[in-house]
Amino acid sequence: MTAFLQALASGLALGAIYGLIALGFNITYATTKTFNFGQGAFLVPGSLVGVSLLLLAVGKPHFGNLTQAEMTMTAYVLATIASVVVVGAIGIALYYCAIKPFVGAGGLNWVLSTIGFGIIMQNTALAIWGPASIAVPSPLGSEVWRIAGAGIRPQEVLIAVVAVAVMVGLDIVLRKTRFGKALRAVAFNPQAAAIVGINVETIVILAFVISSALAGLAGILIAPITTASVFIGLGIALKAFSAAIVGGLTSPRGCMLGGFLLGVVEALVGLWRAEMREITIFLLIIIVLVVRPSGLMGARSVEKI
Amino acid sequence: MPALAHAFGLAVLAAGLALVPFFGLNDFYLQILFTIGVNYLAAAGLNVLVGYAGQKSLGHAGLFAVGAYTAAIANIEWGLSPWLSLLLACGFGAVFGLVIAMPSVRVSGPSLAMVTIGFGIVVEKIVTEWTDIFKGQAGFYGINAPSIAGVSFTNLHWVWFVGALCIATHLMLRSLLAGRYGRAFLAVQMAEPAAQSVGISVVRAKTLAFVISAVTCALAGAVVAQQNQYFNSDFITFNLSIFLLVVVIFGGSGSLYGPLFGAVILTLLDAWLARWPALQHFTYGALLLFSLYLMPNGIAGAVSGLAARWRPRKAAPSDIPGHSALAATPSAAASGEILVVKDLYKAYGGIVPVRNVSFAITAGKVHALIGPNGAGKTTLLNLLSGHVAPDGGSIRFEGHEIAGWPAHRVATLGIARTFQNLKLFGELSALDNVLLGAHRHIETGFAASLLGLPSSRSAEATARADALALLADLGLGERAHEPAKSLPYGLQRRLEIARALASKPKLLLLDEPAAGLNPQETHELGEVIRRIQQAGVTVLLIEHHMDLVMGISQHVLVLDYGALIAEGRPEAIRRDPKVIAAYLGADDDAALTGDAA
Repeated sequence: MTAFLQALASGLALGAIYGLIALGFNITYATTKTFNFGQGAFLVPGSLVGVSLLLLAVGKPHFGNLTQAEMTMTAYVLATIASVVVVGAIGIALYYCAIKPFVGAGGLNWVLSTIGFGIIMQNTALAIWGPASIAVPSPLGSEVWRIAGAGIRPQEVLIAVVAVAVMVGLDIVLRKTRFGKALRAVAFNPQAAAIVGINVETIVILAFVISSALAGLAGILIAPITTASVFIGLGIALKAFSAAIVGGLTSPRGCMLGGFLLGVVEALVGLWRAEMREITIFLLIIIVLVVRPSGLMGARSVEKI
Repeated sequence: MPALAHAFGLAVLAAGLALVPFFGLNDFYLQILFTIGVNYLAAAGLNVLVGYAGQKSLGHAGLFAVGAYTAAIANIEWGLSPWLSLLLACGFGAVFGLVIAMPSVRVSGPSLAMVTIGFGIVVEKIVTEWTDIFKGQAGFYGINAPSIAGVSFTNLHWVWFVGALCIATHLMLRSLLAGRYGRAFLAVQMAEPAAQSVGISVVRAKTLAFVISAVTCALAGAVVAQQNQYFNSDFITFNLSIFLLVVVIFGGSGSLYGPLFGAVILTLLDAWLARWPALQHFTYGALLLFSLYLMPNGIAGAVSGLAARWRPRKAAPSDIPGHSALAATPSAAASGEILVVKDLYKAYGGIVPVRNVSFAITAGKVHALIGPNGAGKTTLLNLLSGHVAPDGGSIRFEGHEIAGWPAHRVATLGIARTFQNLKLFGELSALDNVLLGAHRHIETGFAASLLGLPSSRSAEATARADALALLADLGLGERAHEPAKSLPYGLQRRLEIARALASKPKLLLLDEPAAGLNPQETHELGEVIRRIQQAGVTVLLIEHHMDLVMGISQHVLVLDYGALIAEGRPEAIRRDPKVIAAYLGADDDAALTGDAA
């Protein structure tokens, strides 16, 4: 039972990470029918930029290791802000280099161009930080919390709390604000949105900034659990993509739900046999898609004849 | 590419291969040539899937693995000869192609990407983790290479062997893709409903494309395992799937020569940059990012664009006489009820576009279906053609109960249609559009088409001649070789009719054929419909243009709010108070007064 609770907790934390990234996929897909296939590479600066700034601030080289004493909550918050801002800004570059030339062209060109952008980013990061991983202490310390007998890492709680807060916040923004309304208008029909005076390109760029910033946030949130390194991204982004598809790429809430679902299933299967995690998850995803091709909460698209 | 230039190119390639031993190449260079061949093999099949059938796959590493592990296990564990293992690898490749096609044909867009990624990762994890059978990272050692007359393949032999496989694959795919199968793939990619309407099963076409790509990819994997004599799970990665896709798209998907460009350039680049791994990755990334921006259709697209500017394409007339489907004279005047509809019902939630409609269509006549906008006319047509499944009722066509049949099966019975919002195969020529209409009449087996047998060539030539005759008959002869999408709107409408006629239908359904036509074109359309009737084809058309309807039809059906409110001869319909009320609106008092009088 404790093992189950423990797995459930870490599954929810990991699922929150998947959900954050998946939500980013939803936001850009809604506006342009594209998303960043190389999103994994965006987790890398997310985890490394903020941490390196902290390292420089305490007078260490940018690729060293932080001690627990140096990682206060204030420091972590500042690092998070730095990461989110930097990665969000990279999202603008992503849009101009890899998305804009291919929007509306159909085909697979945008898939390859975003993968290409990701490869360049990852190798730039490799040149800056090298292949070694950097241990990042959690601002809440490393001592395991005992809840109902189950050992839960404080960082997992932090991840879940921050991720849920961001998701709820974005959900409100998307549904209640002028920006959210404009975003949905662009998603529904860019030409009509432009006619009523919405600056479509600004909205689209903002969508990519948000999506990238979410990946950056995911990167720094997960760093104390996985350590920060150039290679953490691909696996996580692939699961986040799966979460978005299974939950329904066209539904923000579906993407978040898909994230949690995937995280929990992964953790519970891991409890049974760790090596069966990926096999089980991806077989499940294939089955779900055969039954519901547009995901659990996605809108079915019907071609008008 | 003209036949002569093609034969010359093949001869040069074969001569080049034969002369390889005289170039004094060391094993490093032989290995590069071998790798080019392997990448071409895998990409050539994948191109059929991606470039022709329009499907995406980000999981072909899984199929590469199927071939490689079949070759390894068949040889080492089951003691089969290397040749037999190679054949078996292709067979297993085909089986797994079917396996991945089953979920894939049901989804599209990002979900399709997900299903194929999932397949690739599941295979990757199985061969990594299930070490009892697949030996994981330790891998299989001592996989035997094939031998001829007791001599095991050297690296030079491998280059020759793979070169021969590539040429054979190229010739087969060239023959297949030039014929009805190639056209069917493209039709599925461009407009699924239209492909169904000419009798192409979308599911079967996509499945076939998956199987073809799986076989060549498995063959490539098997050849690598045998040449390497060693294979482990590290070969099978998500990156391999991406790489194979890049070879196709960078080279130029949908072009027969795209995979060749992709395989040669990317393999050479890879080998050349291997000394500087960091630079290699940057180049690879930059290539992905910018090359498609500069060349949206890959290298083959850029090359053929240049070639077209240099040497404009000329139309080739047919050298055998053809028979226009429109010129056919009915053997016996058809009569009786060809189509009987009873209590047909379709609802979308609370909206009921077709509400218990019953009517009969008499053979040999022109029938018109009219009604105000939103009356459910197009939905009714979609039910008849099988594009939408009814919720209840019966549709009998020549004694067959076809309610609920898929559209491609309905089409094979002899019901053809056009679409209100044109659904032409836009990138294909007018001729190819009509040839697709004739799809179900070009009787060529898969093997005959793959091997380019004379039977397949003559069937193709006959169909081509007939299609050209039909186009000429409809005044489209001059433009037979232009892409359909570049024709003026009126001619596009007419081309859709030509495509439908090419299937030699018994019943032709026309959905607003006069929409967007000018008066002159509308008049010509009336003539065309009369000629269609004279050729013995029964016509049911939806039309708002009342002059046209009243002029050419012998029987009019009126639909309003999903219900049939009147039917009869045109002159009777013109005076029917219910019809007038439906079109012009009448308040209840007026209607009552009318009834009382």
